[in-house]
Amino acid sequence: MLSSLGSPRQAAAQLMNFGLILSTAFMMWKGLSVITDSPSPIVVVLSGSMEPAFQRGDLLLLWNRNVIEETSVGEIVVYNVQGKDIPIVHRIIRKFGTGPEAKLLTKGDNNPADDTELYAAGQDYLNRKDIIGSVVGYIPFVGYVTIMLSEHPWMKTAMLGIMGLVVVLQRE
Amino acid sequence: MYSSVVRLQNTFGFFTTVAFVVASLVSLSDFLSARTPTVDLLKTTSLQVVKGRPHYYSSKKEEYAIIKFSLDADLSSLFTWNTKQVFVYVTAEWPSLGSQNNTNQAVIWDKIITAPSSDHLANIGPIERKRLKKSAGGKPIDPSRGKLQLKNQRYKYQITHPSGRIASQEDVVLKLHYNVQPWVGILTWNQEQTWGKWQALKGAASKKFALPALKKKDEGKKNKTTRT
Repeated sequence: MLSSLGSPRQAAAQLMNFGLILSTAFMMWKGLSVITDSPSPIVVVLSGSMEPAFQRGDLLLLWNRNVIEETSVGEIVVYNVQGKDIPIVHRIIRKFGTGPEAKLLTKGDNNPADDTELYAAGQDYLNRKDIIGSVVGYIPFVGYVTIMLSEHPWMKTAMLGIMGLVVVLQRE
Repeated sequence: MYSSVVRLQNTFGFFTTVAFVVASLVSLSDFLSARTPTVDLLKTTSLQVVKGRPHYYSSKKEEYAIIKFSLDADLSSLFTWNTKQVFVYVTAEWPSLGSQNNTNQAVIWDKIITAPSSDHLANIGPIERKRLKKSAGGKPIDPSRGKLQLKNQRYKYQITHPSGRIASQEDVVLKLHYNVQPWVGILTWNQEQTWGKWQALKGAASKKFALPALKKKDEGKKNKTTRT
């Protein structure tokens, strides 16, 4: 087991291998980001405000280009509120005007009231630039792993450790 | 060490591949089932514009329109084995000054129609859930839920405009829309054109109408939104 650490050449090769896996994953993510024009093309649902369609841990695929038509009422969008770091997945229920200055109002399907109270102080509507993508695809459950990892930090450490060990100890 | 780790990796890899392929096939099967949604009737039955505070957090008084409508639509073909829910919504759309397009859109009513397979996820009380489950009669797919017959339906959301004025607005139309949300795969909306086996939703718009002039009324206390 420890023999692999004996040869510097082999250790270096394994380190390279590990780096390659990490950078491939990173480039795939960034590539997807460029294709969809969204800083975060895949998001995990964190709240139940769009239930029953989307539950905690479901994975959403986003698209942020307006090729055919503008983002409009009825689309489910992910947006960031100014000054807050948590992306929110809700449906657009009102749109006034067109173009980048159009005023958009959102609401979670499962919420009784619209999102006015979630927005920043003094902000009554969203603009197109606040939106980081419209939901086009849905995959259930898969994202639950990331919720587990962020809620139980020790799991993150353990997982990274195991991954590192497997890669380092693996022989060709 | 060697064999057990590799076996574990292979098993997990095979599992994810199979899960991915099955999920892809399920989502592709959507394209094989015909969608023939129809709208037989969509018209307003009562129109009113009042001035007040539409919400308890409204900072100023503004004009808002309250609309009642009747709807007769058959969306039953949207329910297949991959349908988790259909989100149905009615919008009011009207043009801005000096524009031909309907640049203002507002949802006035919506409804989540769960498929029987997702009834257990719906956010409703236990009695209503029991009733809903019973209505499906044990079937996993219940297309009859797609038949909508609303008479004189009250709005859920009153319409406002950022300018605060909406009285006497002309050329307003109501439109029916739907959004099919699957168990896995792509989300789809009503279409303007027919694609393959999915037909366009025709007759989804009401006749153009004008909102009445402002009616004096005291405060919006009676205007609680209905939560059905």
